[in-house]
Amino acid sequence: MPARILAVAAALVFGLTARAEELVKVVVRTTLEGKPVADAVVSATPLDHPAPPPANVTPVEIEQKEQEFRPYVTAIQVGTTVNFPNHDTVQHHVYSLSKPKRFEIPLYQSGASQAEVFDKPGVVTIGCNIHDWMVAYIVVLPTPYFAKTDATGAAALPPLPAGRYRLEVWHPRAPAPLVQEITSDPSKQAVLDFSVALKPDKRIRRAPGGRSNDY
Amino acid sequence: MARGPFQFRRFSTRLICLLLGLLTAVLAAVYFLISQANLQNAIDHSESNLELGSRVFDRAILQRIESLANSASVMSQDYGIRSVLLQDKPDTATLSSNLKSYTQRVHAPVIALFDADGKLLANSEAGMDNENQGPFAWLIHKAAAQDKDLMTGFAYLNGGLHVLVVKPLYAPYPEIAAWFGLAFPIDEEFAREIKRITLLDVTFATVDEAGASRLLASTLPGSDTRELLPVVADNVRHPVRVRTLTLGGARYVTLLKTQELLGGDSPVTVVLQRPLASELAAAHDLGNLVVLISLAALAVATLAALWIARGVSQPLQLLAGHTKLVATGDYSKRLTLRRVDELGQLAAAFNQMTAGLAERDRVRDLLGKVVSPEIAAQLLQSDLKLGGEEREVTILFCDLRNFTGLSETMAPAEILNLLNRYLDRMSAIIEQHGGVIDKFIGDAIMALFGAPVTLPDAASHAIAAAREMARALNELNREFAAEGRPTLAFGIGINTARVVAGNMGSKTRLNYTVIGDGVNLASRLEALTKEPSYDTPIIVSEATLRAMSDPPPSRHLGDVKVRGKVESVRIYALGAKGESQPPFRS
Repeated sequence: MPARILAVAAALVFGLTARAEELVKVVVRTTLEGKPVADAVVSATPLDHPAPPPANVTPVEIEQKEQEFRPYVTAIQVGTTVNFPNHDTVQHHVYSLSKPKRFEIPLYQSGASQAEVFDKPGVVTIGCNIHDWMVAYIVVLPTPYFAKTDATGAAALPPLPAGRYRLEVWHPRAPAPLVQEITSDPSKQAVLDFSVALKPDKRIRRAPGGRSNDY
Repeated sequence: MARGPFQFRRFSTRLICLLLGLLTAVLAAVYFLISQANLQNAIDHSESNLELGSRVFDRAILQRIESLANSASVMSQDYGIRSVLLQDKPDTATLSSNLKSYTQRVHAPVIALFDADGKLLANSEAGMDNENQGPFAWLIHKAAAQDKDLMTGFAYLNGGLHVLVVKPLYAPYPEIAAWFGLAFPIDEEFAREIKRITLLDVTFATVDEAGASRLLASTLPGSDTRELLPVVADNVRHPVRVRTLTLGGARYVTLLKTQELLGGDSPVTVVLQRPLASELAAAHDLGNLVVLISLAALAVATLAALWIARGVSQPLQLLAGHTKLVATGDYSKRLTLRRVDELGQLAAAFNQMTAGLAERDRVRDLLGKVVSPEIAAQLLQSDLKLGGEEREVTILFCDLRNFTGLSETMAPAEILNLLNRYLDRMSAIIEQHGGVIDKFIGDAIMALFGAPVTLPDAASHAIAAAREMARALNELNREFAAEGRPTLAFGIGINTARVVAGNMGSKTRLNYTVIGDGVNLASRLEALTKEPSYDTPIIVSEATLRAMSDPPPSRHLGDVKVRGKVESVRIYALGAKGESQPPFRS
């Protein structure tokens, strides 16, 4: 994934063109201050043809380490299996009460891993029953065309075949997803700017004495 | 004399009335002002108490809300509840029983669980109908819209006023998986608890749109709440935050605040009250003390007024008594006031005045003895100065015969006694006839008729006096003879003439007298009675007879050449020749 982003970035920097599919890059910034927004999930759902099944069926991992979920936001295509390995020194009890996927993985030891298949689209919020501050989001998407913004707020979507797409930008602190219809034109490459008014970051500060959070 | 209401016979009464009146007015004013200040102070104090009570009330509500919110937070971490919620179709009966067990754990009488969209999942009380869900649903909607993790409000649940608390169930935070709705009643028990803390009476009442007021809860007795409800209704129309009310005969300082309800129900009025009497209790003691001090002050003032009045009126009465004495002519008494103030000065001045009056009377008395009363009066009336006036005066000279020879044979005291008796008798007669003794010259008498006091028909008076004197001498001689004393004989000369009358002498010593030829002539006439040929004790000049309105029969004695005058004077004797014994023929 980082390699891909690096390649896209390089291509953008050097103005490389002439691809069969359009390279769509999205930059997400905050509305007021214009700061880059990381961990935003950008997805493009084809409107003219059905979305292709997941090209990469390799399971995704959300690990528990230092009493946090990593990564914070994960985007997957519907049907993807997510592993929840415990790389921590304590046990965890992973659960979700979100509608697309209600599940729990009762307390399990360090080194153990549990997998869940996410077969309905939507946002699934993952928590730990014994550590209130642990939270992670899995955005289950009905399309393989998605990307997550990096620290600069940029995300490069996989090359989109020509056609109309419903472009959606989701972020945990955005009041609602930003939606825009685009038409992919392989002869061009587009840079789309989104600005989003984020709600305050309400994640729980861990009790003093624990390791500090690097949010 | 008619007396008005503020005229007093006694000075002490006036002083007491004045002093007590003033003092009473001042004390009454002080008492009134203190009472007013106390009342205002009590009201102010009650008001601040009520404001404090209002804050305590708000705080109590807030504390309960916090307590319920904390309970909700704990419940949101409840594994049992989460486990049920993990089910594809959560078992509401299980949830409800779980919530019911929580009502006892967290002391919240009403606990409900709603899903993320605000739909009721479970409820601690069976059969929460739509009406009761409404306020919760509204709060959830508001909390979600405003992204708040706590939302509260007042609403009716099953007809009773409650405070509602809505709190999200995070799974995990900040993702809201469900909502807890909790409520506690604002009822009599809550009112009593507020009263326990604030010592204020608490009433909750509401007024519907039709204006009908309904009591929700109160710590007041039922009869008082009935009187209070119209005030609540009035307050809804005309809000006044703090009022003073009378309920059941007792005055209350009252604070009314309005609490809006969810869902458009008529607002609830929260009434906090403090009896004014409890606030005035301390002031009441002070008031009693003021009254007591006032009465003591009045008593002391009365005594002081009496003392002062005595101090003033006693000397004044003494002075009045002395004045009366002085008025009657008794100058013998003196005021003795042992004081140096104005009254002492007055007494001293009075004494000086009495002494002065006594002195004057003594002088006047003496003057009356030394000179005749008429001359004395003349002397006292006029400012004494030298000079005189010319007027017609009848002058009478009377001299004893052979008195010098007589005095040689007798002891001086005997002579003086004899002479004084004689002069006393003669003087009295002269004065009876309006004559004035000008002076005694040894045994001689000089008397004036018509000066210094004008006397009509002075000559007649002088003649009458002379006749009477002759009769009196006879009488006196009989007395002297009876006593074995020598008898006396006199001669009288009477002349009427214009003479100068007035004060004569030096500046420091003067006499009222008359001078002129006429005076000398009278003296000459008296001397002529010694002439045996005339054979009469009384010789009168022609001028005197002429001056008389009704001249008596008289005997012409002849003409006398007067020294220094060209014309001679015709002289007459009264009565026939040799008639020396009274009564003279008239």
